[in-house]
Amino acid sequence: MSARRRMLLKVIILGDSGVGKTSLMNQYVNRKFSNQYKATIGADFLTKEIQFEDRLFTLQIWDTAGQERFQSLGVAFYRGADCCVLVYDVNVMKSFDNLNNWREEFLIQASPSDPENFPFVVLGNKVDVDGGNSRVVSEKKARAWCASKGNIPYFETSAKEGFNVEAAFECIAKNALKNEPDEEIYLPDTIDVAGGRQQRSSGCEC
Amino acid sequence: MQEAELHDLSDDPDYVASQQQGSGGSENQKCTRKSNGPTEPNGSEVVYSKDNVAIHPTQYASERISGRLQLIKRDLSLFMTWIPYKQSASYGVGQGSRVKLPEKDRNLYTIRAVPLTDVRSIRRHTPTLGWQYIIMVLTSGLAFPPLYFYNGGVREFLATLKQHVFLVRSADDANVFLVNDLQDPLQRSLSSLELPRAVPVANVASSSSSLASVHSDDNSNQRSNADYHDSSFSPTESVGRHRQKVRDPARDLSIQVLEKFSLVTKFARETTSHLLRESQIFDNIGGYEKQQQVHSSPVKNQVGGDPVSQELQDKNQIISDPLEKIACRNGKLCEAAATLVGTFELIDSKEAEQQSLVWGKPRLPPLGHEEWATFLDEEGRIVDSKALRKRIFYGGVEHGLRKEVWKFLLGYNEFHSTYAEREFLETMKRSEYETIKHQWQSISPAQARRFAKFKERKSLIEKDVVRTDRSIPFYDGDENPNVGLLRDILLTFSFYNFDLGYCQGMSDLLSPILFVMEDESEAFWCFVSLMERLGPNFNRDQNGMHSQLLALSKLVEFLDSPLHCYLRQADCLNFFFCFRWILIQFKREFVYEKTMRLWEVLWTHYLSEHFHLYMCVAILKKHRKKIIEERMDFDTLLKFINELSCHITLEATLKDAEALCIIAGENKAACIPPGTPPSLPVEGGLLE
Ligand SMILES: Nc1nc2c(ncn2[C@@H]2O[C@H](COP(=O)(O)OP(=O)(O)O)[C@@H](O)[C@H]2O)c(=O)[nH]1
Ligand SMILES: [Mg+2]
Repeated sequence: MSARRRMLLKVIILGDSGVGKTSLMNQYVNRKFSNQYKATIGADFLTKEIQFEDRLFTLQIWDTAGQERFQSLGVAFYRGADCCVLVYDVNVMKSFDNLNNWREEFLIQASPSDPENFPFVVLGNKVDVDGGNSRVVSEKKARAWCASKGNIPYFETSAKEGFNVEAAFECIAKNALKNEPDEEIYLPDTIDVAGGRQQRSSGCEC
Repeated sequence: MQEAELHDLSDDPDYVASQQQGSGGSENQKCTRKSNGPTEPNGSEVVYSKDNVAIHPTQYASERISGRLQLIKRDLSLFMTWIPYKQSASYGVGQGSRVKLPEKDRNLYTIRAVPLTDVRSIRRHTPTLGWQYIIMVLTSGLAFPPLYFYNGGVREFLATLKQHVFLVRSADDANVFLVNDLQDPLQRSLSSLELPRAVPVANVASSSSSLASVHSDDNSNQRSNADYHDSSFSPTESVGRHRQKVRDPARDLSIQVLEKFSLVTKFARETTSHLLRESQIFDNIGGYEKQQQVHSSPVKNQVGGDPVSQELQDKNQIISDPLEKIACRNGKLCEAAATLVGTFELIDSKEAEQQSLVWGKPRLPPLGHEEWATFLDEEGRIVDSKALRKRIFYGGVEHGLRKEVWKFLLGYNEFHSTYAEREFLETMKRSEYETIKHQWQSISPAQARRFAKFKERKSLIEKDVVRTDRSIPFYDGDENPNVGLLRDILLTFSFYNFDLGYCQGMSDLLSPILFVMEDESEAFWCFVSLMERLGPNFNRDQNGMHSQLLALSKLVEFLDSPLHCYLRQADCLNFFFCFRWILIQFKREFVYEKTMRLWEVLWTHYLSEHFHLYMCVAILKKHRKKIIEERMDFDTLLKFINELSCHITLEATLKDAEALCIIAGENKAACIPPGTPPSLPVEGGLLE
């Protein structure tokens, strides 16, 4: 078991429908953006081989349907996750307001062994839209929320333009790795994480 | 339920006598048994042994093959064997000059270790003149040739059997005994549902001849499907129909027929009876290997069957069973066609590839204008809606006719409506649509600001329509007005059924409908009709989906037990990997045209309202070898299934699904509870 688990890092992307989950995943894995992605039905995942120093890992990125109605499926898909990515659209307030629901829903359904310290990463997507003019959620507000949830790393991204996507996923991968209980894993600090400190306080402030 | 089928055996003096002999004198009997046959080294016990039991390969008793019939107990299971004596011993006694039966033919008839769980019923014939014989009918609905007891003893045989298996007399025929030694109550009730079917299948010659007719059906494209798929879809029904023609059970028995029979038996056993037994006997797949060795009985067979029509060839996969390792291919005789049962076994792998399991009818060309006209009377009524549905089930509809025909299939137009009535309805519905549409159109921006639910819904729909089938010319390009129509219809629907609202997947269902109707109001009403059946897929509690996934699990359990066993081990029994298939009726699995073809076939509800579930089983079954051999876990399986998209052959899958649906027969009811979507909700349960 440990051999395989060590190699595979499972990441779940959650967030309201249309915030750009599928686009982000495809931008990261395939370095492509298409306007023709279909709305996700059920669930799917993409994998990407990543290397940290001399070790290879498989990042398995799960993309699920965003509508609440499908949340009951989560149990099957969330289990064994090593990191959860919460995505919102900086141009849609509601999608930001829902982050908390997504976070809680995930913790309930995935029931990780140490929920307090389970790694999340938040992405504010579509920063490219309208040159930022239609933006309704400020970076400050988003960072404040992340801080309140135990210093969740935060990134602003554009799946369309590929902005900050690579950096975000490097952080995601690193956090997933950190979540692996296996002692053998060596955490390299060669990756620059743009979104603040990686250290997470164990206490939850909410 | 079961009681209704039973008759107390005590009313039969013959049986009472035999029972006394059996149970009362069990001490005595045990001794007899021991002296009759040696206890086999591997822990099996011979509980019954009878010499001079013969079969008649032709109608001449003189050409009989004699052998020894035994019942063998191994662990908790009972098996029956019939092994012919060596050639010289008794074949053609007094007919020395006659041609001897070749060794391979003797082997063909050999019955090796059939578990009694595979036997559904035994018919006994104890004529006052002539030899007593029994006919064993397998759970697959097929039968062994009559076994003639030259020294008598049918009664003792039944008595011994009664001690080891659950044996009841058929309500319909005092000479038919139903065999059922299943332990599990669920399985027992499953099999009890089959009991009535056991009765008509009582005669080998008849089942053989009906098999022959099944094959010839398959070979003829032109032939109407009438006598095979009529009102009842159980293959055993047609067996019953043929039965009348043949009186002498031995007549018409030919080696060739037996071969076909064995092929079909193999298939039918795999898909039906297998699972009832295996899921009990084996906890894990690994157990199969061992069992194979124990019961393996390779039988060679070189006689070619009928030519098999071309379209049968792509069917091979469905019976390919990872557990029956066909070691050598292409012409070489296959020594290793070993199964648990080892009754009439395969055979030449090349031939197996051709014959495989093809019960699904040849597909027809799509329904065209001329033929369509024949279904309508002068006033436009569809006279025989069932015939129409059947026709479409087997061939679909030409695209140009879809706009007209889909309205019937979806239930928007009634089959018995006239041209005039339909025209009137269309006008009415058009204005009704406008009224509902106006409800949301009249919401001002200011009002919308205080109507979060509306705004949310609208934006969800808007996000989805722009990602719906944009690669299809009908919806492609910027500012395509048809995308706007999708939006308007979905938004209107979310007001028409406000409680259900909008849910992802609906745009996928609407897209082909609008494409076909090319009319906003008509597309809306057809969509409304479709959602009457599929609405539960989108319910907030996801109950509709869960009940279908559960039904699918039961169907797989029934129709492909090894796969079900595997999925249980792999912790995949939630069948979530089929979620997308079911939610939007395979919309994402086929190219646009094929999706429309599939949908019109599904909407006929011809063989089943749940034909889509049989599609699921057919596809899974086709890939089960890979799934099991590669030991796919949940993630891998989900990925595998998702990647099948656009790699599924529709026509072949439809035929496979049809075969599975027929095999499921009356067991459907046990697997798919009433009310499972897309069945219409029960009357009065609608909130309207
Ligand atoms: N302008 C812009 N559009 C985006 C971006 N990411 C996604 N989209 C668009 O937003 C819509 C929803 O994207 P999708 O990835 O399918 O969202 P999901 O439902 O969260 O998976 C699509 O039309 C995408 O083309 C982005 O970064 N910028
Ligand atoms: Mg998506």
